[in-house]
Amino acid sequence: MMLRQKKLLWMLLCITASVSIAAADDSSGFLSVTGPCRLEFPRDHSPHQGFRTEWWYWTGNLKSETGRHFGFQLTFFRYQLTPFGGAAEWPEPRSAWRSRQIYLGHAALSDLSAKRHFQAEQVGREALGLGGWVQWGPDITFFLRDWSAVILPDSQHLKASGEGFSFSLELKPAKAPVAHGIDGYSRKGSTPERASCYYSFSRLETRGYVTVAGKSIPVQGVSWMDHEFSTAPLESGTVGWDWFSIQLSDKTEIMIFLLRTEGGGVNPASSGSYIDASGAVRHLDRGYFEIDVMDTWKSKQSGATYPSRWRLNIPLLGIELGLVSNLPDQEMRTAGSTGATYWEGSVSVKGSKGGSLVDGNGYVEMTGYAGPMTALK
Amino acid sequence: MNSNSIEPVIHARKLSRTYPFGDSTVTGINQVDLDIAPGELVVLKGDSGSGKSTLLALLAGLDHPTAGELVVAGHHLSNSAGADLTRFRRKVVGMVFQSFNLLPTLNLLENVCLPALLAGKPAEAARAKALELLDWLGLKSRLKHDPAQLSGGEMQRTAIARALINDPALILADEPTGNLDSRNGRVVIDLLAELNRSSGRTVLIATHSNLADSLAHRCIRLRDGALTDPTCDG
Amino acid sequence: MRRLTFFLRFFLWFSGRHLRRHLGRALVVLFGIALGAAVFTSVRLSVHASLHSFSRSMDFFAGTAEKVLVRPGGYVPEGVLPVLLAHPAVKDFSPLLTTFVRVYPPQGSSFLLIGIDPLLDQSFRKWRIRGDREKTAERWLDLIREPYTVILTEPLARELGTVSGARLKLEHARRTAEFRVAGILIPEGLALVEGERVALTDIATFQELTGLYGLVDRIDLTFKPKTSPLDIEDLARKLPDELELRSPSAARDSGTAMIRAYQLNLSVLSFASLFVGMFLVYSLVALNAASRRRELAILRAVGASPRLLFNLFLAEGALFGLCGWLLAIPLSSLLVRYLLHSVSQTISTLFVRVQVEGLVLSPWEILVSFAVTLCISIAAAFQPAREAMGVSPKEAMEIAQTGVRRRRSVRRLAAWAVGCILLCVPLSLMPGIGGVPLPGYLAILLLFVGFALLAPWMLERVGRALSPVLQRFAGMPAYLAGRYLRDSGARTSISVGALITAVALFTALVIMIHSFRQTVELWVQQTVSGDLFVTTKMGQVNRFRFPIPEPIVAGLSQLDVDADLVPSRRFQMTYGDFPYEFEVMGMETFLKHGGFVWMKGDPETARPLLLRGEGLLVSEVFANRTGLGIGDMFRAQIEGSRIEIPVAGIIRDYRTDGGVVFYSWKQFRQRFYDPQWSGVRFYFRDRTRDIDAQTTGLRDTLIARWGDRLDMISGKELRNGVLKIFDETFAITTVLLLIALAVASLGITTTLTVLVLERTRQLNTLFAVGASFGQIRSMICWEAGFLVVAGEMAGLACGFVLSYMLVYVINRQSFGWTFLYTVDWGTLALSFPLIVLAALVAALPAVRTAFREPPAALLRER
Repeated sequence: MMLRQKKLLWMLLCITASVSIAAADDSSGFLSVTGPCRLEFPRDHSPHQGFRTEWWYWTGNLKSETGRHFGFQLTFFRYQLTPFGGAAEWPEPRSAWRSRQIYLGHAALSDLSAKRHFQAEQVGREALGLGGWVQWGPDITFFLRDWSAVILPDSQHLKASGEGFSFSLELKPAKAPVAHGIDGYSRKGSTPERASCYYSFSRLETRGYVTVAGKSIPVQGVSWMDHEFSTAPLESGTVGWDWFSIQLSDKTEIMIFLLRTEGGGVNPASSGSYIDASGAVRHLDRGYFEIDVMDTWKSKQSGATYPSRWRLNIPLLGIELGLVSNLPDQEMRTAGSTGATYWEGSVSVKGSKGGSLVDGNGYVEMTGYAGPMTALK
Repeated sequence: MNSNSIEPVIHARKLSRTYPFGDSTVTGINQVDLDIAPGELVVLKGDSGSGKSTLLALLAGLDHPTAGELVVAGHHLSNSAGADLTRFRRKVVGMVFQSFNLLPTLNLLENVCLPALLAGKPAEAARAKALELLDWLGLKSRLKHDPAQLSGGEMQRTAIARALINDPALILADEPTGNLDSRNGRVVIDLLAELNRSSGRTVLIATHSNLADSLAHRCIRLRDGALTDPTCDG
Repeated sequence: MRRLTFFLRFFLWFSGRHLRRHLGRALVVLFGIALGAAVFTSVRLSVHASLHSFSRSMDFFAGTAEKVLVRPGGYVPEGVLPVLLAHPAVKDFSPLLTTFVRVYPPQGSSFLLIGIDPLLDQSFRKWRIRGDREKTAERWLDLIREPYTVILTEPLARELGTVSGARLKLEHARRTAEFRVAGILIPEGLALVEGERVALTDIATFQELTGLYGLVDRIDLTFKPKTSPLDIEDLARKLPDELELRSPSAARDSGTAMIRAYQLNLSVLSFASLFVGMFLVYSLVALNAASRRRELAILRAVGASPRLLFNLFLAEGALFGLCGWLLAIPLSSLLVRYLLHSVSQTISTLFVRVQVEGLVLSPWEILVSFAVTLCISIAAAFQPAREAMGVSPKEAMEIAQTGVRRRRSVRRLAAWAVGCILLCVPLSLMPGIGGVPLPGYLAILLLFVGFALLAPWMLERVGRALSPVLQRFAGMPAYLAGRYLRDSGARTSISVGALITAVALFTALVIMIHSFRQTVELWVQQTVSGDLFVTTKMGQVNRFRFPIPEPIVAGLSQLDVDADLVPSRRFQMTYGDFPYEFEVMGMETFLKHGGFVWMKGDPETARPLLLRGEGLLVSEVFANRTGLGIGDMFRAQIEGSRIEIPVAGIIRDYRTDGGVVFYSWKQFRQRFYDPQWSGVRFYFRDRTRDIDAQTTGLRDTLIARWGDRLDMISGKELRNGVLKIFDETFAITTVLLLIALAVASLGITTTLTVLVLERTRQLNTLFAVGASFGQIRSMICWEAGFLVVAGEMAGLACGFVLSYMLVYVINRQSFGWTFLYTVDWGTLALSFPLIVLAALVAALPAVRTAFREPPAALLRER
């Protein structure tokens, strides 16, 4: 029943992943990201209407008092249907249902100790209180039905639920938001407009409750938040991407995204960021890091084979890390075989940094592995 | 032949059959005592209406006596129920009728097989036995013919084959020559006598012709439903 | 196993070959039963097709909803969405709007436009756009992205000659707008609703087209797992009072119940032809059992059990059933083509809108028709089979058996007959079971059986009384014929029974249809009075839901025309589960020109109550279904208003089989709110001038001012239309009737043939003692005449009783309405000589049979 919904969500992902889907003729009316983003907060937490797509993306690793390990994900997507002042005029008087913006939500909870993965979705146009955002002073709230994400100056509050699970979390930034790329301008391809504005809260101290099977469990841990907006960042030839967020025990963080191209290559625009304990960010070009896949996992349901263990080297920083997924099946699937299938899950990290041992947690997102993905180019 | 020394095939004592007719009754047979030993060929004589058919119907298990005792081949017919009588007719007696009584929709072979099939014998066995009998009766060339295509003599020979198919101990013939010319009548009587002679079957022929007299072991005579002097002539 | 093989083999030898030898007779019977089975099967299949299409349409339309939020008679305001969003029990919801629209310039009939939010609706209803996977996602987003876009089903696109991407003008009551076709639907789910004549649009576009800003028809709801009825009650409390949470299946269930009841009604009617076919099987099996009595005796003599004989004849009946059913398949496929359309039209007219796409071969329906045909044939063979069982083996001994037949006591049969007929009285008084007049049907069956059982006694009487008279006036053959029939016993009467059944059905249906039509005509003249009816565009198909726009109403009220106006507004409501229409109308003017067909209550006392708004009128159907009588309080919630008015009278109304309630428009506005106009009718004051000319003039005026924004129909056209629909509806019944009569004629042919064949020897004896061919032929004709006349007389009597039951029991219980009982003497008087003639023609083959073989051959001993 959720088939089309997922299709829409997938489409959004793919707009970022492989652009040709959005017909070039109507993208002209949208704003383009072509240079430094000059991010300012809290202003830039709120939606950037006029750009086609935007997302607010929280992931994190949590532990209960008894050491039960959970991973969570909550995403709000904004998708703008038509640019402002576009060709299709709106009738007057107009229905309250008229809207240019669609909001989509995606929530998942990985009960890693019990090896279970829950997921849920929401979708609604920005009309009649079905979904959207509100601003009250500096407080920004995103909502979709009964899901919400609130960004306050010194904390963030997440609430989502689905069949068999729910969570309610309070996140406090341990570091200020960091802008990726050049002042937030994150290149995704060979031409300037193949880019997005991209910043992260790389370390959010988190506490709250997760509910599994009707039982509410107090948890705490560390989360990551991404906010990215764009109109058409990726170019054709890109089949998917692998995105890593790593939070190490020495209070440093790493973000890396690899844009995979046809034939198994990696787009040179792939890059990353290293955030040191003080919150200073260092941009990592493609040449600075190596990622090798050590093991794979094949999904019985979609038939896709995903990497499940990696080795990450950043020689410049003396970092040698091993990553392993905490639960093989954290695949996000659609009913039938629409191809709207990707992997988003919690990983554990172990290795060395500058000769001393480090460990940590992370989240990995991998798209374009399930067969039909290529058909979406 | 001494009929007292062995168990008789037919044993009747004070056998009576009456029919209701309006407010009164009509007597079919009255107080008949009769014993026929195994292997006997007996001719039953009598005028029309003397009770020959009634007696034969009782002996064949086609009808119930109203009084008296009747045992045929060890079966007590005076107090048998319908299902027992059906079995009795299948196994114990073979019946030959004056008007042949072949079923018009069945061909000659099927007519002969029928009692065996009704008795639950396998079709192949019934067919083999019927072919054997029909061969013996000289009808082998007419197996697929319908009764309507046969002559009277052929029909009656078929009826004899049908009477024999279940190997009955007793053959009852009701005016078997009544609808036949004298030549064919002779053939039929000779066949019945041959059956009696060769296989020792008990044969009772009800007839008012004299064709069988010379071949019979003895004659019995019915008059107004009662047995009278047992002579063949008259 | 061996027993079964033997039985089958022997059945072929004994019965199969016999039937083949008398192939003509067997074929006639086979054709009769096949015709009966074909009628039965095709009627059931036709109704089933409507039922299937309706419930499928309703299911796809209802989708996965667990509850539906509606506002009786009106629209649900969008203002309730926050309540739904906030309630913890609500999982998903989807608002929905529908209307019928048509393309502009008008072409073809109107189709259903559905307005939904594609995002909210996806967990409720399934639909997909044809084309590449990724492109279709974009295209359905176009519905939201781009105002005035629609997605059409493929058949509709073909019908309208449009393709994806093309532009299309759609016309609605309020306005006409240009749409872009954003895609074509794959034929599944929602696309299959309404016989695939649907279009989808975004809810925003729908509201902008129709002007229903902030309003929706309904909101479908699903609940989270483990939601209890208490949670749903809690939700209901939080919603405004005038909103109702209904079961999504309510509309489907009441619709399917109505169609099922109709199916049963038609099944029973069509069963009559099968019933007549049953008589045919009986007569042939009985003939076979009687004429082959000697063979049966021989069989018994050579060792066959009575059960074998019983099974043989039962199997003969079964063979007729089986072959008849097989033969019925090609016959049904011809018949069903005719019935399919008219049945669905009837259902659409009387009950619920259905769009039948084609025949659906339901295994269940096929099984039912097979089982019924087989059972009926076996049942028909039962009595002859039992007789066969009773044959004594001793009969094999008798030469030239004439058959000692036990004569059943004619008096005892007559007693049974009277018992059956009397039993009809209490059965007719019993209420129907679940809207289906089962006791009534049983009563009809008993009536037929009773009259058939009465036939021997009647023949005996007629024979006894007529023979001497006939001898004097018509000579010896007539006398002999009368005597023969007097003594012929049960067999003749079976065939007469078939004729009685057919004639009774004919009479009853002629009377019923005539009464119905007379009453409807009266109703049409009175209640559908008026010279010009004006409503919103497509008002009829949209069930008068959309009011006429205010400026037009103002213009209409100020028209310079010498006519009275009767405005009206209709609300579609339900009383419990029973759907009805609440109509407010300009009562005073209406009563001046037209009126109601009163059923209960006094028009004179009710009139002031109606005018003062202190009473309302309910239709007979409404009164029957709800139990409300005169003086009872009618209560309803219409949009925001609570209505409580006593019933002042009960009137006849035939617009649908739902109920109707009438109330004064003026009083409604004074007491509650302005109901607006959904329609208005004009009555010209000057009746002396040419009404047609005045109507045309007025129509031209209206068109000149408002163009095609209004739908108009003259009173004359409307009334003729109503009567035309009525006549079309009953065309089916007429077909069934003619088939029943045809089967009965076949029955007469077989019976007479059997009678002749049975007596060949007797007839030839007659010939031998000096009767001429002519005399014997004349005797058989007299016999036929006796049979037919006796059958007709009894059939007529039975038919009158039956018509009474149809009007006052069956119709009342299955439709809720009755009508004024009137007998169409003209049709009856005209048709009876025709039936007699037909039956006599049917007797001809029998006469010919009598002398097919030379008399000498027949007199010869077998």
